[in-house]
Amino acid sequence: MQSKLIRSIVYWVILSPLVVVILFPFGVMFVTAVRPRDELFVFPPTWWFSEFRWGNFAEMWVKTSFGQALLNSVYVSVMSTLLALALSIPAAYALSRYRFPGKGAYRTFLLMTQMMSPIVLVLGLFRLMVALGMVNNLNSLVLTYAAFNMAFTIWMLQSYFNTIPRDLEEAAWIDGATHFSSLIRIFLPLAVPAMAVTGIFSFINAWNEFVLALTMIRSSDDFTLPVQIYSQVAGRYQVEWHHVMAGTVLATVPVAIVFSWLQKYLIRGMALGAVK
Amino acid sequence: MASVTIRNVEKVFGSIKVIHGVDIEVAEHEFVVLVGPSGCGKSTLLRMIAGLETISSGDIMIGERVVNKVPARDRDIAMVFQNYALYPHMNIFDNMGFSLKLRKRPKSEIDRKVMEAAETLNLRPYLQRSPAQLSGGQRQRVAMGRALVRDAQVFLFDEPLSNLDAKLRVTMRTEIKALHQRLKTTSVYVTHDQIEAMTMADRIVVMRDGRVEQVGAPLELYDRPGNLFVADFLGSPSMNFIEGNARRSDGAALLETANGSQIPLPENAPVVDGQPVVLGLRPEHLSLTDPEEGFAATVKVVEPTGANVEVFFDFAGQEVCAVFNERYPLVAGQKMAISWLPDKVHLFDGVSGQRLESE
Repeated sequence: MQSKLIRSIVYWVILSPLVVVILFPFGVMFVTAVRPRDELFVFPPTWWFSEFRWGNFAEMWVKTSFGQALLNSVYVSVMSTLLALALSIPAAYALSRYRFPGKGAYRTFLLMTQMMSPIVLVLGLFRLMVALGMVNNLNSLVLTYAAFNMAFTIWMLQSYFNTIPRDLEEAAWIDGATHFSSLIRIFLPLAVPAMAVTGIFSFINAWNEFVLALTMIRSSDDFTLPVQIYSQVAGRYQVEWHHVMAGTVLATVPVAIVFSWLQKYLIRGMALGAVK
Repeated sequence: MASVTIRNVEKVFGSIKVIHGVDIEVAEHEFVVLVGPSGCGKSTLLRMIAGLETISSGDIMIGERVVNKVPARDRDIAMVFQNYALYPHMNIFDNMGFSLKLRKRPKSEIDRKVMEAAETLNLRPYLQRSPAQLSGGQRQRVAMGRALVRDAQVFLFDEPLSNLDAKLRVTMRTEIKALHQRLKTTSVYVTHDQIEAMTMADRIVVMRDGRVEQVGAPLELYDRPGNLFVADFLGSPSMNFIEGNARRSDGAALLETANGSQIPLPENAPVVDGQPVVLGLRPEHLSLTDPEEGFAATVKVVEPTGANVEVFFDFAGQEVCAVFNERYPLVAGQKMAISWLPDKVHLFDGVSGQRLESE
């Protein structure tokens, strides 16, 4: 008992520098976000604020039309995640359960697409969206984000699907289930943890994406959050740093919500006890 | 309830043939055990009956119906898997009732049937638990229960006891046999354990390398194994084999081993002079005897099991195992004499391994 306590104290001491590295930017962001405007640039710099101003958030919300950008981001992230999952679940299932010609090549192909930086493809994608008439349309982002995430989601889902015993589906077929109903009633419920994890990754990727959003979206009404916040900094005579920081703090909130909602699935080892 | 007919069935995986034209008839109400070493194709054959594996050629019939192209769900069979394959996200009640639910039976009927099966298998207290909360033996029972509620035409068992510990395996073996005696459902049971095969089966099918070696009632196979493989496979400890060449002179037949020992064979033994022959002797048919009457043998190892004693002898230059019910005070190195009754001798051809039948 005693030694366990000592061990955890030691671990904390060793790991705490890392915590500082991660939390420091958040601290600066938050402190700056709640400062009065005239305390932004003072010399010598201060770490604290004279007055705690929640009002900054409200001001920022209105001035930067944060609400609209938030809605755009939520729409793009949710839709692209759903689309990616909807398409990669059947693909991963096929890769995991069936033998077909070119399976190895297909897997390698998926891996190779991950080695290419999206930036390289931006021009091509832009031309593609022009041809499809989808520039300045949020759905162009839904499509491209889903496409970029799918290689990862398929790969991830497949390796999890491989761990779900085939016997369970076979037992369901013998019990009288069609392939479809065994998929819905037996297989997918067991794959929920994998879908949650890939969903989180896909959502966060879409949420943070910047370059494509900057390229595809022209009008500020359709800006997603990263672009909207960026537009508060770039090409301006005067940067309202406290608003920028308030925006970034708020932008991290949805990710935190999604993560805490889905994380319980991460640790729920549902396939335990299925087979010996 | 229905019979199962397997007619000249073959299975090919890619370019490898794993089942070579197998014919098996399982009569209605019969309990047939497919037994053989791992890789002999017994599980593949069972999965073909279940519809989980396609049939490369030949026919499988359940009752009068050829089911080659019938999907598993329409074959009206129930199967117990080696690793139970319980649905981990459902409780025990739902696991057992799943098949009825899929068939859209009324809730009252599902309740009644699941309760009946739970009663039979002593699972009443566990119906609301999840499979993860049960012990291995209980999970095994649930897997059985899932088959029971079905009233299926045929039960298939794929090594259902191999994940249990030795003691539980014996208990479940008896339970399954008792259950079959009560329900009389046609059953095909796959195992690599010859004791399970011997104790449970109405008839045993011994398989090797995708072929049927011999079919018959357990004791029939034990007493008259058709070839060396079957003789070796059934029985524990397994049969002793003494290799040598047959000698015939003046009507008397004997076996000459590599070290020059001579062992008399029954006079009517169907052997010709010079024929390579394998003499088979069950360990329990050997007995200790007076040095004048028996054959010299040296004790190598003594292994008491409690119920009896297994003694390994050095006999005619080969190792021979004997099982005695008496607790003889034997020690390693002791020179003894052993003998056997002539009618307990099995003779096999040394080349083909086939049984040599006395006229």
